[in-house]
Amino acid sequence: MASTPKIIVIGGGLAGLSAVMKIAEAGGKVDLFSIVPVKRSHSVCAQGGINAAKNLKGEGDTTWQHFDDTVYGGDFLGNQTPIKGMCEAAPAIIDLLDRMGVPFNRTPEGLLDFRRFGGTLYHRTAFAGATTGQQLLYALDEQVRRYESEGKVQKYEGWEFLSAVLDSKGVCRGICAMNLRTMEVRTFAADAIILATGGNGAIFGKSTNSVVCTGSAQAAVYQQGVCYANGEFIQVHPTCIPGEDKLRLMSESARGEGGRVWVPKAAGDKRAANSIPASERWYFLEEWYPKYGNLVPRDVATRAIHKVVYEHGLGIDGQPMVYLDLTHIDRATLDRKLEGILEIYEKFVGDDPREVPMKIFPGMHYTMGGLWVDADQMTNIPGIFAAGEAEYQYHGANRLGANSLLSCIYGGFVAGPKAMQYGKNLQAAEGDGGHTAELKRQEEINQRLLSSNGAENPFKIWRELGDVMTKNATVIRYNKNLQAADGQIQRLLERYRNINLSDKSMWANTSFAFTRQLLNMLHLARVIVQGAERRDESRGAHYKPDFPDRNDEKFLKTTKAFFATDTNGPRFEYEAVDTQFIPPRPRRYDAVK
Amino acid sequence: MATATNPSSGSAHRGVQPLRAGQGHSFLLRKLHSLSGVIPIGAFLLEHFLSNTEALKGPAAYAAQVKFLNSLPWVPVLEWGFIFLPILYHACYGLYIWSSGKSNITYYPWAGNWMYMAQRWTGLIAFGYIAQHVYHLRFSGVRLADHPGASFAKVHHELANPWMLALYLVAIIATSWHFSYGLWLFAAKWGITTGDKARRRFGYVCTALAVALITLGIASALAFLNPKYKYGWTESPSAQTTQSQLQMPIVAASK
Amino acid sequence: MAERTIKVEIKRQHDPDGTAVVERFEIPYRPNMNVISVLMEIAARPVTVDGKETTPVTYESNCLEEICGSCSMRINGRARMACSALVDNLEQPLRLEPLSKFPVVRDLQVDRSVLFENLKRVQAWVPIDGSYDLGAGPRITPQAQEESYPLSNCISCCCCMEVCPQFNVATGFVGAATIAQVKLFNDHPTGKVLKEERLHALMGDGGIQDCSYAQNCVKACPKELPLAQAISDVGRQVMVQAVKDIFTT
Repeated sequence: MASTPKIIVIGGGLAGLSAVMKIAEAGGKVDLFSIVPVKRSHSVCAQGGINAAKNLKGEGDTTWQHFDDTVYGGDFLGNQTPIKGMCEAAPAIIDLLDRMGVPFNRTPEGLLDFRRFGGTLYHRTAFAGATTGQQLLYALDEQVRRYESEGKVQKYEGWEFLSAVLDSKGVCRGICAMNLRTMEVRTFAADAIILATGGNGAIFGKSTNSVVCTGSAQAAVYQQGVCYANGEFIQVHPTCIPGEDKLRLMSESARGEGGRVWVPKAAGDKRAANSIPASERWYFLEEWYPKYGNLVPRDVATRAIHKVVYEHGLGIDGQPMVYLDLTHIDRATLDRKLEGILEIYEKFVGDDPREVPMKIFPGMHYTMGGLWVDADQMTNIPGIFAAGEAEYQYHGANRLGANSLLSCIYGGFVAGPKAMQYGKNLQAAEGDGGHTAELKRQEEINQRLLSSNGAENPFKIWRELGDVMTKNATVIRYNKNLQAADGQIQRLLERYRNINLSDKSMWANTSFAFTRQLLNMLHLARVIVQGAERRDESRGAHYKPDFPDRNDEKFLKTTKAFFATDTNGPRFEYEAVDTQFIPPRPRRYDAVK
Repeated sequence: MATATNPSSGSAHRGVQPLRAGQGHSFLLRKLHSLSGVIPIGAFLLEHFLSNTEALKGPAAYAAQVKFLNSLPWVPVLEWGFIFLPILYHACYGLYIWSSGKSNITYYPWAGNWMYMAQRWTGLIAFGYIAQHVYHLRFSGVRLADHPGASFAKVHHELANPWMLALYLVAIIATSWHFSYGLWLFAAKWGITTGDKARRRFGYVCTALAVALITLGIASALAFLNPKYKYGWTESPSAQTTQSQLQMPIVAASK
Repeated sequence: MAERTIKVEIKRQHDPDGTAVVERFEIPYRPNMNVISVLMEIAARPVTVDGKETTPVTYESNCLEEICGSCSMRINGRARMACSALVDNLEQPLRLEPLSKFPVVRDLQVDRSVLFENLKRVQAWVPIDGSYDLGAGPRITPQAQEESYPLSNCISCCCCMEVCPQFNVATGFVGAATIAQVKLFNDHPTGKVLKEERLHALMGDGGIQDCSYAQNCVKACPKELPLAQAISDVGRQVMVQAVKDIFTT
């Protein structure tokens, strides 16, 4: 094949941009597709920081320790070889980001400053104020813009990925995409493609995710035969600000900098938070987990808050909310280290968190699951690679805070060169490589949608999907409810056939694009609920009161979902987890591990 | 470009064009405009305001100042090279700047935005006024370079008209403001006051300058109407003799 | 008692060549709504106040946390982010219009690619040797970090450009956002290697000289970037460069 392979990267967040950078640097040709201008990708929302065991605080931190924390935090579901690779690469990644000009916070000596994050006892998280994701994304965006101006990268912003183009042998030969302004559908040839399309929060209606995080691209290739792994592992972030349009994240760094979670000891206490004396406050995380205190991993904190609110009935004012308190920390420190996130609270709620404790509640935040990939970040379909939140391999059953940015960049750094290597050895396709057939298939889908004259509003179906998923497939799961949820999703799929597009024009039709995404979301939702139903244990973010313990004998396994064309739904397989370095041990944060 | 172009119409690129890096001359022209406002125009303005304060001392002192100024070497070169042409350039390029800007004070009624608009209107008032001022006092009527003694009376005659007086007062305020804020802008744009605090401090200085110029200017203008000098001459007999000679051309000019 | 509602007027334009029309909507009130949730509500029931069926409104949005920079529009006349515009703080009827200085794509969506193009023209990046492991970056004092961090918070929303009286088709002014990025990269120990080129770029037509210090940018910036400070700092750099050019080239 050509000595300079042509690679298509889909998604312009951290993972996608990292891959693009590596490919451009290695002299490859790369096209970058993104729904939004890449600088507006969801990676900007990451707040707290990025982990790397640089050991600049004299604590004796090591990459092994980082590796152990990550595997332990993920409740041993993560394959250990890639995780080990990521943790070992982390310090060099931080150096690179630093060289690119990321304005990381500094020590007086001019070195990188590190903060503590959940699930570790070390100061391991490099940070740029409380907008680390934004700063990292911009640094990569700038490097890619540089390559773009040198003609090494072609950007297709405002294009949505519809599907992979597969040849007669099932090898990927490019993509089919839609221009979101002209609504033109086109195929683009490539020797390999990298999906870096992020999370799937939109399936849960309201989440901390951005609008574009629908999981649509992942679901599209899943329906084309790519395996989707560990879909049931959904991280619910303990501290979110409830909102009408979405749940806004209140970063873990608020607790990392000393924020304390509490509720009034008396149910229905009507007093203002500041007037409740310390003796009448219940710092339940500190009481239950004396070692880690407020910095237990997210799944643990989330369940604790859930328990305090729903079992103890101690939510503030009877509402599902608890206090996250920063008022004991002085203003200057807060402004220096957390200004960005405190402003979010101030802007969207109206109270100043430096003066009054914030009211927060858990919300859907991240999917540990994603497209199944091998050590080269390649899925089970040759030529389709994946990186970032869109794939499954670095976080096991629960992700530690500040590991997501790292996994995005590391995943992109692996996927880019590996895709190049794959492309170099690829044999030429037979015929047109399936382009004509795929284009026709996609155009037919569009035609069907445009000619559908039903009564169902896609936005209403989406809201119902969100309600079903949030109610049954987040913090606490029961098999009965999961079964019912799957039934409800199937009914939504039936109603989808009766969809009505109120806008049938072919120019910048956002609701048309959304309606296409919706079908994909419905299919992926079934992977999540069915995967959860089958996993009769509690592990990491997946918690079933009927099966409260981890069951390594039966479920120390990766869930692998395949789309079965006969049933139009998922089919499941299980795969052993690579535990060659650290033998699984019980995961407890109420005592030293 | 990376983002989708607009294929629905055949029209060329819409919207604001990107930076023409390293192209064109607007940097030089704009800097000349800014500089000319301070040197020589601003410098001359200060001189002119100070000279005019001589009127407070009476016609003789004023005449002496006019005489002194006209005794400077190369007066026509000074006038054209350092006053008329720079003002013409400053005004014309200023009008061009105004025409390319787009005020939006209705939606953004913020202090800086008011100043932005005020700078344009005061500039226009100042220019209109200066044009008539130069025409009336420099290029028509008695030539003061030859008859410095007639200066006071000539101005007095102009200001005796209440409409003219009102125009002068408005113009003095507008010009003083335009110059003072222009000085502030100069310091900001030329990288002299780069700090927010420095700019605020210099803002106070410029405000004080504006107030001082306005006070001096109005006081000087009113001095020409001082009843003490009603007939345009002082008690000094020598001046008295010139009075009758003066009346004629001024009357002629006012017709 | 009549149900409480939110009245909205939206300026709509079907495509770049279409004529703009105003459509009026009335939707049920809920506390703590922002403008985005109003638009979502309309999408779920796209019917005007006169009962006429219409299409969902096209607009850009993504993070809804005022960090991605997507959803800038004019709300009651002023450019701002729709996600952080809380209905409870706004006068009704809400008037939603697209930004006026950028070509309309459809409804409230405009094309702001000019900013990204400008960032290319001033080489707004740190020219690193490569992405392989070359050891730690340069040491930077906390003071220097605190100065550059706010500039790095620019979300490319283009509000500063929309509200600038000098940013328009006649001037082709580059706008505050790009100038602030020039300062950011000129101040960086490695980024400053391109300082001269950036300053020369900013001397071109549409460059820094077109700023007239109305300072609307500072007021309108949702992230409160020190834009006036950045413009005057870069102004000094440009002047020093210009003088240097006179005597050394």
